Amino acid sequence: MSDIAGRPGFEDAFHKAAERHERAWVFVTLVMLMGILACTMYFVVYDYGVVVRTAAYRSDPTALGGPAPGVVPAADAGLVKTGPNAYAVHMVAHMWGWTPSPLHIPEGATVTFYVTSIDVLHGFEVKGTTINVTAVPGITGEVTYMFKHAGTLDIICNEYCGIEHQAMLGRIIVDPKPPA
Amino acid sequence: MSIALAPTGALSRPAGDALAAQRRTMLAFLVWGFSALMIGAAIGPLQALNYGGINVYPALAPVLQTYYQGLTIHGVLNAYIFTFFVTCGLLIYLPARELGLAPNMLLWRSCFGLMAAGTLMLLYAMFDNSSSVLWTFYPPLKGSPFFYFGMTLVVLGSLLPLPILLDMRARWKARRPGEVTPLVTYMSTTTMLMWGLAGGGAAIELIVQLDPWSAGLVDTIDPIVGRTLFWWTGHPIVYFWLMPAYVSWYGLLSKQCGGKLVSDPMARLTFALLLVFSLPVGSHHQFTDPGFSPVWRGILTALTLSVALPSLITAFTIGLSLEYSGRLAGGRGVLGWFTALPWRNPSVAAQVLAMVTFIFGGAGGIVNGSWELNNIVHNTTWIPGHFHITVGTASALTFMGVAFWMMPHLTGRKLLSRRLALVAAWLWFGGMSVFALGMHWAGLHGVPRRAWVSFLPQTVYDRFYGDAHFPLTMVAVGGIVLWLATFCFYVVFLGSLFTRRLSTPVPIPFAQAFGGAESYSLDGGEPIGIVAHRHLSPLAKALEQLGLITAFTAVATAAAYVPIFWPFVNNITRAQGWSVW
Repeated sequence: MSDIAGRPGFEDAFHKAAERHERAWVFVTLVMLMGILACTMYFVVYDYGVVVRTAAYRSDPTALGGPAPGVVPAADAGLVKTGPNAYAVHMVAHMWGWTPSPLHIPEGATVTFYVTSIDVLHGFEVKGTTINVTAVPGITGEVTYMFKHAGTLDIICNEYCGIEHQAMLGRIIVDPKPPA
Repeated sequence: MSIALAPTGALSRPAGDALAAQRRTMLAFLVWGFSALMIGAAIGPLQALNYGGINVYPALAPVLQTYYQGLTIHGVLNAYIFTFFVTCGLLIYLPARELGLAPNMLLWRSCFGLMAAGTLMLLYAMFDNSSSVLWTFYPPLKGSPFFYFGMTLVVLGSLLPLPILLDMRARWKARRPGEVTPLVTYMSTTTMLMWGLAGGGAAIELIVQLDPWSAGLVDTIDPIVGRTLFWWTGHPIVYFWLMPAYVSWYGLLSKQCGGKLVSDPMARLTFALLLVFSLPVGSHHQFTDPGFSPVWRGILTALTLSVALPSLITAFTIGLSLEYSGRLAGGRGVLGWFTALPWRNPSVAAQVLAMVTFIFGGAGGIVNGSWELNNIVHNTTWIPGHFHITVGTASALTFMGVAFWMMPHLTGRKLLSRRLALVAAWLWFGGMSVFALGMHWAGLHGVPRRAWVSFLPQTVYDRFYGDAHFPLTMVAVGGIVLWLATFCFYVVFLGSLFTRRLSTPVPIPFAQAFGGAESYSLDGGEPIGIVAHRHLSPLAKALEQLGLITAFTAVATAAAYVPIFWPFVNNITRAQGWSVW
């Protein structure tokens, strides 16, 4: 190659090839990005439950109030049955813990979490799942997830919230279905 | 001929004195920025040890009282102070020398003064542990007024290069009508135009929300509005970190490698696309936040993937430019050109290693931007793993590489040790690779970022994070290697301020583009800028319309943000502040 590189025409030849390859590269890149977009959108539709929706706003973060009409269960209500195999729970983040925790969930249940904070920002992450919601003071976020397997899951706060942030841990216990 | 040359030589002498002032100012920016990185990078490995389960903070009081205080200092100094000073220096100095014009020194020095005053206020507020709010300073966590007012000065100072560049570009265009802006100036101006639009979010958050609140003029604050304003700036800021590195890769590196830039118009296209796409996508950092419609999250996903395009074009153009250099140097075969690059030049080695790292950084960024994949990695150690191979290596290691030629250029002194500089670059690359792989991997196990996990009782640490033991050990090992890298780098950097004087000046390695002219200097001397193709490329010509592109971006940004802010301003939250560290 080096003898070719030494020739005077090398720069021109290299330039011509470069322009051809450049067009191909841009084309392949665009196709790849569109492919990735299609895949990610497919997953969003397929697993829409863990997309964060907005359930309610309130002006005073500390005033959780009673159940909002028909949707959000009261903050102290625990796990509320809303249908066959469907449940809802108001998960409140506060410095530095989760209420309710530990939370018992029956195996196979679909649970809607209404997540909010009464003080600073927190992050509601259930380790080993795709549940990941910012707990924002004044806004209640909503995600739905089906717990297919019995066992213990860890709740971790993943948004910095002060000196005990690392210890803001909780637990979800998925109780095995009683043998039929 | 000699008669014609004589006056030029005479004229260049007073210009030489003016250049000395520019060099001194540039050196001040460089030294201040790298001093910030020295403090920040010295603290960093403590955080890596934390993830490895080793809690060193009790031994460090009263200098550092908590992990969170150290993390705040690390983030603020590295992400803002280091990058802003280097960038606000480089993006004025290089265009000024390329165009052969003097920048407005008063504005340039004011930029330095404002940011330096802000830095001192930030340091005071962080070292007295009154403001351990981390570099994102999300309200309603509440630091001291020194923190927010210091940050305000830094942001306002960082916007001053924009008018300086617009003025220089206008003066140049008045002298050379019909020509396209030389490449380095074009790239620098585009970067600052992007930052001018991007800085609005942080400026509004600080001046309207945080400054009056911290000063006690208002009692409450709206957390989600602050967070959204922050990310309006906080996403494009990653391009404010990256684009100056691209300036060096496109504008200088080919020359350092002994070759040419293969495409001048593609470099311009890259910067114009970055200007357009980096602005409206900030809220993709809020995929997991409630409060705005999922429809916008979908649009943000599409826009975020679009911003990968200019970086993929960069990968091609820079890769090909390096290949050209390598072939000229006798490299054969599929990879021979890569090994034929001048690896013994620490400036080249650092920058090429930075690029290699960025391939993985860019791939990780596509994962982060892909909405539901983000659910798995959001706020886990994956995220700091990602930005340590982007800003922490692609940008930082490139800036180190730039410093290796620029220190001798500015001071007229020899680089302390070429070999030690090479060691620093390779250690940074190796340490960061191990660290970042560990961080990404641990993130997939759900280990949260920014958590003082080593302070947990051993049984709790093991129960929650035992499954990530191996990757977390990699994090700690990588951190220790980075400590060595930092030490080596600063021996070279600071040592080079005191070495013996060189007999010949070190020139700025302005690259030449394929089909471009040889020289563009107007001051009868040294700089050789990148000139567009002799046959003016239609693309380059179209991209000269920076005003139009900026206006379009502003409209697109507004269109993206109005629907996001709408529900927030209709549902105001009044949260009180918390100082809880």
